Amino acid sequence: MGNNVALNTKYDGNSDYDDAAVTDNSRSYRPCSLDELVARTKFDKKEIQVIYQGFKQECPSENNLGIVNEQTFKNIFGQFFPFGDTSKYAHLIFSTFDLRSSGIVTFEDFLIGLSTLCRGTIEDRLKWVFKLYDTKKTGRLTKDDFHVIVCAVYSLLDNISNHYNDYITIQEHTATVFQKFDKLHQGYITIEDFIKICTQDPIIVQSIEALRGAI
Amino acid sequence: MASVAAWLPFARAAAIGWVPLAKHPLPPPPFRISRPGVSPSSPSTSTTSATTTSIGERRCDEKIIINVSGRRFECWRSTLEKYPESLLGSNEKEFFYDEDTREFFFDRDPDVFRVILNFYRTGKLHYPRHECIAAYDEELAFFGILPDIIGDCCYEDYRDRKRENTERLIDDRLHEDDDKIQPKPLSSRESMWRAFENPNTSTMASVFYYVTGFFIAVSVIANVLDTVACGPDPETGYSRSCGERFSRQFFCLDTACVMIFTVEYFLRLYAAPDRLKFVRSVMSVIDVVAIMPYYISLFMPHKGEVSGAFVTLRVFRVFRIFKFSRHSQGLRVLGYTLKSCASELGFLLFSLTMAIIIFATVMYYAEKTVVSTKFTSIPAAFWYTIVTMTTLGYGDMVPKTWAGKLVGGVCSLSGVLVIALPVPVIVSNFSRIYHQSQRADKMKAQRKARQTRIRLARNATSNAFVAAKRRHEQHFDDSNASGDKNIVNPFESQHHHLLRCLELTTDREFVEMGPDMLMNSGGGASLAAGNSAMAGFTNFGSRSGRFLLHPRAWWCCKSRRRRKNSCKFNIERKNTNNANVSGDEIDAEIGDFQLPLTINPYNSSTLSPNIIIPPQEMPYQGNSTSSLQYNVVLHSNANEPLLPATNRFDLNLPLGTVNRTQLNRKANSLMAVYEHSSVNDTGKGESASKSDTYRARSPSSVSDSTFRRTTHVQIIDKDTHEAV
Repeated sequence: MGNNVALNTKYDGNSDYDDAAVTDNSRSYRPCSLDELVARTKFDKKEIQVIYQGFKQECPSENNLGIVNEQTFKNIFGQFFPFGDTSKYAHLIFSTFDLRSSGIVTFEDFLIGLSTLCRGTIEDRLKWVFKLYDTKKTGRLTKDDFHVIVCAVYSLLDNISNHYNDYITIQEHTATVFQKFDKLHQGYITIEDFIKICTQDPIIVQSIEALRGAI
Repeated sequence: MASVAAWLPFARAAAIGWVPLAKHPLPPPPFRISRPGVSPSSPSTSTTSATTTSIGERRCDEKIIINVSGRRFECWRSTLEKYPESLLGSNEKEFFYDEDTREFFFDRDPDVFRVILNFYRTGKLHYPRHECIAAYDEELAFFGILPDIIGDCCYEDYRDRKRENTERLIDDRLHEDDDKIQPKPLSSRESMWRAFENPNTSTMASVFYYVTGFFIAVSVIANVLDTVACGPDPETGYSRSCGERFSRQFFCLDTACVMIFTVEYFLRLYAAPDRLKFVRSVMSVIDVVAIMPYYISLFMPHKGEVSGAFVTLRVFRVFRIFKFSRHSQGLRVLGYTLKSCASELGFLLFSLTMAIIIFATVMYYAEKTVVSTKFTSIPAAFWYTIVTMTTLGYGDMVPKTWAGKLVGGVCSLSGVLVIALPVPVIVSNFSRIYHQSQRADKMKAQRKARQTRIRLARNATSNAFVAAKRRHEQHFDDSNASGDKNIVNPFESQHHHLLRCLELTTDREFVEMGPDMLMNSGGGASLAAGNSAMAGFTNFGSRSGRFLLHPRAWWCCKSRRRRKNSCKFNIERKNTNNANVSGDEIDAEIGDFQLPLTINPYNSSTLSPNIIIPPQEMPYQGNSTSSLQYNVVLHSNANEPLLPATNRFDLNLPLGTVNRTQLNRKANSLMAVYEHSSVNDTGKGESASKSDTYRARSPSSVSDSTFRRTTHVQIIDKDTHEAV
């Protein structure tokens, strides 16, 4: 998919929005047309409309640029998990949605990600999860990657920085999970292994189904 | 909170990242996909079949029309339901529903309603400046919205106007009921102090006020007249001052004044609530300085009245005029201003000094050549410079050379500038401080209280949320077939489901917090850790395989001690009879109390009456063979005083819905609820049946949910502490 083609931005230049979008208020970002989005994702028109309305409202109001940044993600998660610290988790999710690693998530990125998660096949979703875990984009998951994600998930519950016991729990949890996936004891997990192990585990498949289907 | 519902699907979708980490399988989603042939739990690889279902569910969010005095507002139902504690978000709005026009009609102010509806939409409550504060408050109260959540952009304005209004009302009321006030009887000391501080509280006080004022004036005038020339001295022919002529009369007058001042001072000293503070205060220092010279002069030998020290003491008598500052608010503010404008005054002085030195030096050297010049030295030239810079121009020293005249001209011009600059700053300071002096302390106290209230409310909301979530889980678990899913907000149920997934991923539970966490921490629910750390745990068993519950501990608040699942009600700090349960040592350490409760199983017709604290009054169902003795361990948090509302706790068990709500109301977010169960001596071997019977109850409160869980608890015999 030609990202440059699809994004009808009002300003010229390449897809590097980082400085421009933030500093120049006059450039507001408009997503490409509804039909194109319907074609590119698995949603239909009505659904995209609903999603866009919500998306637009959450954009930082001072710029109103039609994009979200990591801080917005953090706030959004903060509304759902009011008890904990959502920054780590938000960072991970953000970098997974941010297809071009540009530091911002446009509506297209958001929609594509959401389409994969809600309407994609199990394989697609597992690939997405792999991408989520693989923060360094090496194509392999190590124990550190798991540690990062486990920390992030635990920090959603509560601010763990005070609790030493939780740190031990996290270590144990990380070890358990890594062991489950690293059947060959290679020290790393490739995407094929990951997908294979997940699809063979009925609990995981069932859990994935439990989270599906919501718009 | 603008479009939280819109982002919920995103959050749920992103939760897929937890799946490989989860220790337990995640529960199925709360909504049903209504399309036939698609079952929620089948790992279907074709995805398009589920396309339209959830959109359909979302579109069942209908548009509501609200008619406020003729002006129609429309919004989504889900917008209003964001704040379920308010009128519009709860079922209370059904009272205003008009069947004929199918809209909600409110006979209120539409302008203010616009603001209120915007609050639902955007999450921020604004205060429109042109509105009357009382009308606004009324509307907010009607719609069940607390003014504390007014956004920061408008909050200061709101607070200012509210305070002005209340002050004005209080003033008016004070003037009205001046005579009618019958306060609670104060001690004589307190009433005296009140009289001193507030002369309008009683007639005596104002009489006292005016009398002292009069005598201050008399004393000051006497001091002044003391020095007026009164006629020639018959002996020496020189004119005498009146003080010398009528020395005895003046002495009597002075004595009278000083006596009154002394009495007043000692009365104030006696009445002051904090004597040390009073002695150190400025006013008392002035009082002392005003009357000391008299006493000193009494004790001094009557040598010459012109001796230096004596004269100095007389000078101090003029300080009596400062006593007027008690009578004048403006004087006090002036004094405070000068104190607070110290930096501006210092700047003024410093710049003046610099200029004086410069000009005096130049002047001196310019006039040095003149014969018999007055500018004999630089310090002598200081006087000239000061007089010129302040544009006084006495004319006792004038420059004669043209250079000196030039410098003198420049000096006077610059003087005007240098002095004029800091003065407006001081003036504006005075005005600002005068207004602020009335507000500063009040605002500070209010802000702190407000922050605490907001924090409490936020924690209460989050705790209520956790409670609601648990309720929904029970509900969902129990009554799959029951039709009351309709009353459950779909957004909320999805949110609960999401949090449930998180819990299962990490093997933790959300628990309400006790008051200590409420006060100290900024928020957050404490967590019940997983089973790994616990010893001596009771088995929950599995609940029809739906939620695979491992044995869990119920922690209390921040104390991370191991204990058997004990229930704690933060209810009352009364030490009851105690402790035949495990965990005695814990109880002793943190001051837990135990309260034996008797609960009868559901199928028993003889339901136990209200169980009321203290347990000494509690009817003990000793011989009931089917009663469970629950030992309720009261956890007392020694740091935080319990709210008075929670002091009396009536536990009605088993709980019908009425009692359930009562319990719910009382076992509110401020309490951490734990239960410890044990069986009395006769209730053996009935655990199994009890668990079934308890299941049938529809839980609606926090304690119910814990109640439910404990039904699977291994019943431990109270006496022998072994499982039955």
